[in-house]
Amino acid sequence: MKLKEVDRTAMQAWSPAQNHPIYLATGTSAQQLDATFSTNASLEIFELDLSDPSLDMKSCATFSSSHRYHKLIWGPYKMDSKGDVSGVLIAGGENGNIILYDPSKIIAGDKEVVIAQNDKHTGPVRALDVNIFQTNLVASGANESEIYIWDLNNFATPMTPGAKTQPPEDISCIAWNRQVQHILASASPSGRATVWDLRKNEPIIKVSDHSNRMHCSGLAWHPDVATQMVLASEDDRLPVIQMWDLRFASSPLRVLENHARGILAIAWSMADPELLLSCGKDAKILCSNPNTGEVLYELPTNTQWCFDIQWCPRNPAVLSAASFDGRISVYSIMGGSTDGLRQKQVDKLSSSFGNLDPFGTGQPLPPLQIPQQTAQHSIVLPLKKPPKWIRRPVGASFSFGGKLVTFENVRMPSHQGAEQQQQQHHVFISQVVTEKEFLSRSDQLQQAVQSQGFINYCQKKIDASQTEFEKNVWSFLKVNFEDDSRGKYLELLGYRKEDLGKKHIKEEKEESEFLPSSGGTFNISVSGDIDGLITQALLTGNFESAVDLCLHDNRMADAIILAIAGGQELLARTQKKYFAKSQSKITRLITAVVMKNWKEIVESCDLKNWREALAAVLTYAKPDEFSALCDLLGTRLENEGDSLLQTQACLCYICAGNVEKLVACWTKAQDGSHPLSLQDLIEKVVILRKAVQLTQAMDTSTVGVLLAAKMSQYANLLAAQGSIAAALAFLPDNTNQPNIMQLRDRLCRAQGEPVAGHESPKIPYEKQQLPKGRPGPVAGHHQMPRVQTQQYYPHVRIAPTVTTWSNKTPTALPSHPPAASPSDTQGENPPPPGFIMHGNVNPNAAGQLPTSPGHMHTQVPPYPQPQRPQNGWNDPPALNRVPKKKKMPENFMPPVPITSPIMNPLGDPQSQMLQQQPSAPVPLSSQSSFPQPHLPGGQPFHGVQQPLGQTGMPPSFSKPNIEGAPGAPIGNTFQHVQSLPTKKITKKPIPDEHLILKTTFEDLIQRCLSSATDPQTKRKLDDASKRLEFLYDKLREQTLSPTITSGLHNIARSIETRNYSEGLTMHTHIVSTSNFSETSAFMPVLKVVLTQANKLGV
Amino acid sequence: MVSVINTVDTSHEDMIHDAQMDYYGTRLATCSSDRSVKIFDVRNGGQILIADLRGHEGPVWQVAWAHPMYGNILASCSYDRKVIIWREENGTWEKSHEHAGHDSSVNSVCWAPHDYGLILACGSSDGAISLLTYTGEGQWEVKKINNAHTIGCNAVSWAPAVVPGSLIDHPSGQKPNYIKRFASGGCDNLIKLWKEEEDGQWKEEQKLEAHSDWVRDVAWAPSIGLPTSTIAGCSQDGRVFIWTCDDASSNTWSPKLLHKFNDVVWHVSWSITANILAVSGGDNKVTLWKESVDGQWVCISDVNKGQGSVSASVTEGQQNEQ
Repeated sequence: MKLKEVDRTAMQAWSPAQNHPIYLATGTSAQQLDATFSTNASLEIFELDLSDPSLDMKSCATFSSSHRYHKLIWGPYKMDSKGDVSGVLIAGGENGNIILYDPSKIIAGDKEVVIAQNDKHTGPVRALDVNIFQTNLVASGANESEIYIWDLNNFATPMTPGAKTQPPEDISCIAWNRQVQHILASASPSGRATVWDLRKNEPIIKVSDHSNRMHCSGLAWHPDVATQMVLASEDDRLPVIQMWDLRFASSPLRVLENHARGILAIAWSMADPELLLSCGKDAKILCSNPNTGEVLYELPTNTQWCFDIQWCPRNPAVLSAASFDGRISVYSIMGGSTDGLRQKQVDKLSSSFGNLDPFGTGQPLPPLQIPQQTAQHSIVLPLKKPPKWIRRPVGASFSFGGKLVTFENVRMPSHQGAEQQQQQHHVFISQVVTEKEFLSRSDQLQQAVQSQGFINYCQKKIDASQTEFEKNVWSFLKVNFEDDSRGKYLELLGYRKEDLGKKHIKEEKEESEFLPSSGGTFNISVSGDIDGLITQALLTGNFESAVDLCLHDNRMADAIILAIAGGQELLARTQKKYFAKSQSKITRLITAVVMKNWKEIVESCDLKNWREALAAVLTYAKPDEFSALCDLLGTRLENEGDSLLQTQACLCYICAGNVEKLVACWTKAQDGSHPLSLQDLIEKVVILRKAVQLTQAMDTSTVGVLLAAKMSQYANLLAAQGSIAAALAFLPDNTNQPNIMQLRDRLCRAQGEPVAGHESPKIPYEKQQLPKGRPGPVAGHHQMPRVQTQQYYPHVRIAPTVTTWSNKTPTALPSHPPAASPSDTQGENPPPPGFIMHGNVNPNAAGQLPTSPGHMHTQVPPYPQPQRPQNGWNDPPALNRVPKKKKMPENFMPPVPITSPIMNPLGDPQSQMLQQQPSAPVPLSSQSSFPQPHLPGGQPFHGVQQPLGQTGMPPSFSKPNIEGAPGAPIGNTFQHVQSLPTKKITKKPIPDEHLILKTTFEDLIQRCLSSATDPQTKRKLDDASKRLEFLYDKLREQTLSPTITSGLHNIARSIETRNYSEGLTMHTHIVSTSNFSETSAFMPVLKVVLTQANKLGV
Repeated sequence: MVSVINTVDTSHEDMIHDAQMDYYGTRLATCSSDRSVKIFDVRNGGQILIADLRGHEGPVWQVAWAHPMYGNILASCSYDRKVIIWREENGTWEKSHEHAGHDSSVNSVCWAPHDYGLILACGSSDGAISLLTYTGEGQWEVKKINNAHTIGCNAVSWAPAVVPGSLIDHPSGQKPNYIKRFASGGCDNLIKLWKEEEDGQWKEEQKLEAHSDWVRDVAWAPSIGLPTSTIAGCSQDGRVFIWTCDDASSNTWSPKLLHKFNDVVWHVSWSITANILAVSGGDNKVTLWKESVDGQWVCISDVNKGQGSVSASVTEGQQNEQ
């Protein structure tokens, strides 16, 4: 395909390969006259700008020369690799002169462009060549067998390669060998070629076919094979190209007879030794493979002869040809359509003339008639064989899972152009691992989750923390797994209950000394002073007046005391009045505490006091509002401009168990793109999720958008390091977020799981049979979850505890053949059971979630439950988790000192109602003794007497107080709600062999109860007694694994021998070896009982 | 660390020009100057020849797997000026479509992100780029960009579908209004960025000029949710440039030289997480590159015959960064 053309009758030289951009130099030809018969001469430089689609070449410079040229070459002499200096133009003139031009000066428009010239030659200099190894060496040939070697560093005195050949003849061609730098060849129209060795300074071989018809017009060395060269003949009687090998110099190795008439010029591609250009008097430009003789390409040309042809050294697909019709054309041998170019020409014409009335004649011109020949689609076919430069020999591509696919085609040292022998065509698949630390940390995290060793893990993290903040975060996370988490939180915030308690006790002791003895008599005065008025009011039972009087007299304490006796409404009013009057700094705090308006604290505290606010929330907030309050505080902190406070918001979210917000906040503060910083985040998220699962009623299975994004990013990173199994383990599975489902599918398949049947690979995406129109990929994803849960189930099954179960309840398992457990063969770790949030194994769970919010807790157990599906709805559904879920408040001691005397009659009617109503059908002892909260106002003395007569708290009051206090175990609420449907169930008997367990444990609890003194312990024991019901239920159902039951029997035996510490050791053993979900409902309680028993020594 | 986990003897009879794994990394497609395309099952370190596809009449330069949501589809392009789309139907691979719309060697094929549908971009030595869009019932609509790169387009690579800067996908049900873009590299030493206009026509959006010789390959980095777009380009001139655009609205791209090799660089490939670039050079060497904390590109591994090890220095650098 023709790319460019210039109307010149000229010799041509491309700029050297190093040069960028590409230039073409033209020098007026000495042999041919142009159409004007002008005798002017010029040296011009054009730029090859391929981004310009027009046929014009951009002229860069013209230099009017006094010479016409027989030969023009452009050598890279003194060029650096960047091509900053543009080499040297070497021209062969008519009168034995060789002229050196500086092309950069020509381009710059300088007048002095000649570097040097020498006219030592006789006659026209037709042959020139630059040595490619030493670019300062130029060989030239002229008449009288003259050959000179010029050193551009010392241009004045040329050398000769040896004695002149005899008889004297014109030298038409000269060429340096392409492999051996001291070998030179020359040829003459007589047909003889001579090879010179410059080291020996003599001709070493003469090549001639003795036909006497070879008129050498071209000579070229093989680019790769040192001993081979071609000679082209101008003679119409022998229009051939001969391929010679100097090792067999008696006759040509091959003769190419593709031209019909004499050949005028040849050019051998340096980029591909299989491409030899030749042009001849048959007006053809051919590209042949000199190694085979095959014609690969015929350039579409006009009917004119070309006398010069050159490959572009830099762009191997480009060549230029100079023809006798006075034109230099630039072609590409890669084929392609010329329509585009021609159309451009037509467009150009149209735009110049315009189609609309350019001459103002009032008549538009007829549309331009495009000549017929250009209208037809003219395709120029490319070379028959692909040129070497487009044959990609090497490649490396990444693929999923950090795999790198590489191939290379090692070229054997080529012989005779046969370079494809004995190649091995292998493709290598490699695993690339770049993030070792990331992987090892991920591994640690996985192990922690697998072994449930959260506390240890957190502790390690705390120890390794480099910043205070990091340490805080891990400390907070760790607390989630410990008993009395709220208390520990408070400690972390700098508030130790014990410390306060000590202080308090101290003060109390001091105070008590000043208390008047209650046994003495006192005087009731009814005088007219304020005391007297109050006395009168009291005596008449008019509390309200009495309180008013006290307030008026600023006797706050008296007012409050009286208000208590005066009933709830009065108390509330009095409190309000008090707060209105009081101006103390901590009034607002007290207000909030008394009014239970924690929201007020959280919403309006100074954010510098976020710690205090959080502490207050931790102390007082009820579990159901606790998270929301922490969230609120976190949000406030996050919205604050202070970046330090922003990060602290993370702590609030950790307390709140709000994974999604933690992620959002963390992401805002940290650059999460680096694997290790993502690892930092994921560690916290995974641990927090676990904590939330253990302690809160919150539905942890839902995965927020942001978390999903992070988790899938994390899984992607793991996958990219080749840890497919780990990636799968970390990927949240019960979500219908498309990106996660896609990744899961991809990971599963990448693991090399054999897929049943050939068509199944398409399953996860809705089978798109080369869809119509624009396919909506989104629609395809809805199919995924169900299919996947089936497919990936095997992972769950091979988890050790699950298999134990499967023996007993095989029907519960999806109908997968057990043998189809491919991960075994893969040798990679199956995802640990702890990771599998139930969504996988219970495909229906996800579907039920949104539809039945009321029963969410019962239907979304936090642990894999494939092993006990027949414990369906009629099993006490929440039993196995409620105790654990409320672990936090279980041991939580509400702050009695401030509130109890005041709060007692008040309670929290609402929360009490909540607790009482649902529990009504199944009354529990702790609540049956709940007193009537309202004291009737008409019984004043009864009310007054109580506080007066009893200094301590009546025991019956303390319990409801605790229950009703903020932060009390509201878990019961859930329990009761959930036990509603279970009340009618008749339980199976405990199997005889296990009955001993129940009797032993209950007996132990009774013993403890009888010797326990403080109400707190008693309460714990009561609670334990209740919770052990879960164990008995499991015994009834016979759903416990043999190892656990035998372990329990061991504990029972040790209880009988009163060896409680042994029992605790066994307890630890069971917990550490068993599936957490199986034992979590009762084992912690059992531990409490054993510990108490040990302590009490019963 | 780079370790060979599988060596596949392809039994090709001539040079291999491309080897690509499918979406899951379980099947390998190779193509060769012997005019064939082969597909291997390489799961678990095995190598089972699934298909030996004959249909091209010249060397096959590249293969490209379509996203599996459309089935098992492989595109190949060849010196014979044809693009063939192969398809597995009932376990048998067959030619599904043949595109013969180019006048010269087709050097590169690349499937668009699956979100757009089934669209294939093909770059040819005739200078044109054609875009094949599946319109249903075996029909492919062809759009052609003529004169995309004078004397030849060597490579095409699509921009990821996720609009840079948006971490969160568009609300479901609502089809996001993607802007389709791809990059191409050619014998005019340019990398060009193309954008589909609202009328469905493709328009040159940007010229990236840095190379002084043919651009051999371009690779648009996968999106990892960051607002930056990244393109790697490699050239005959031995240079590899990383182009980045931080601001999609201004669409200004700036180059950074990754390295200047002593030989032509044939191929660049991003890891799925877009943080490692594999560079294949004319000296038959493959190197892996990673951007260090200070923004410099560091060679982390020489992959010779697929073997090599990641140098320790960079790994340490990452630790320090924490």
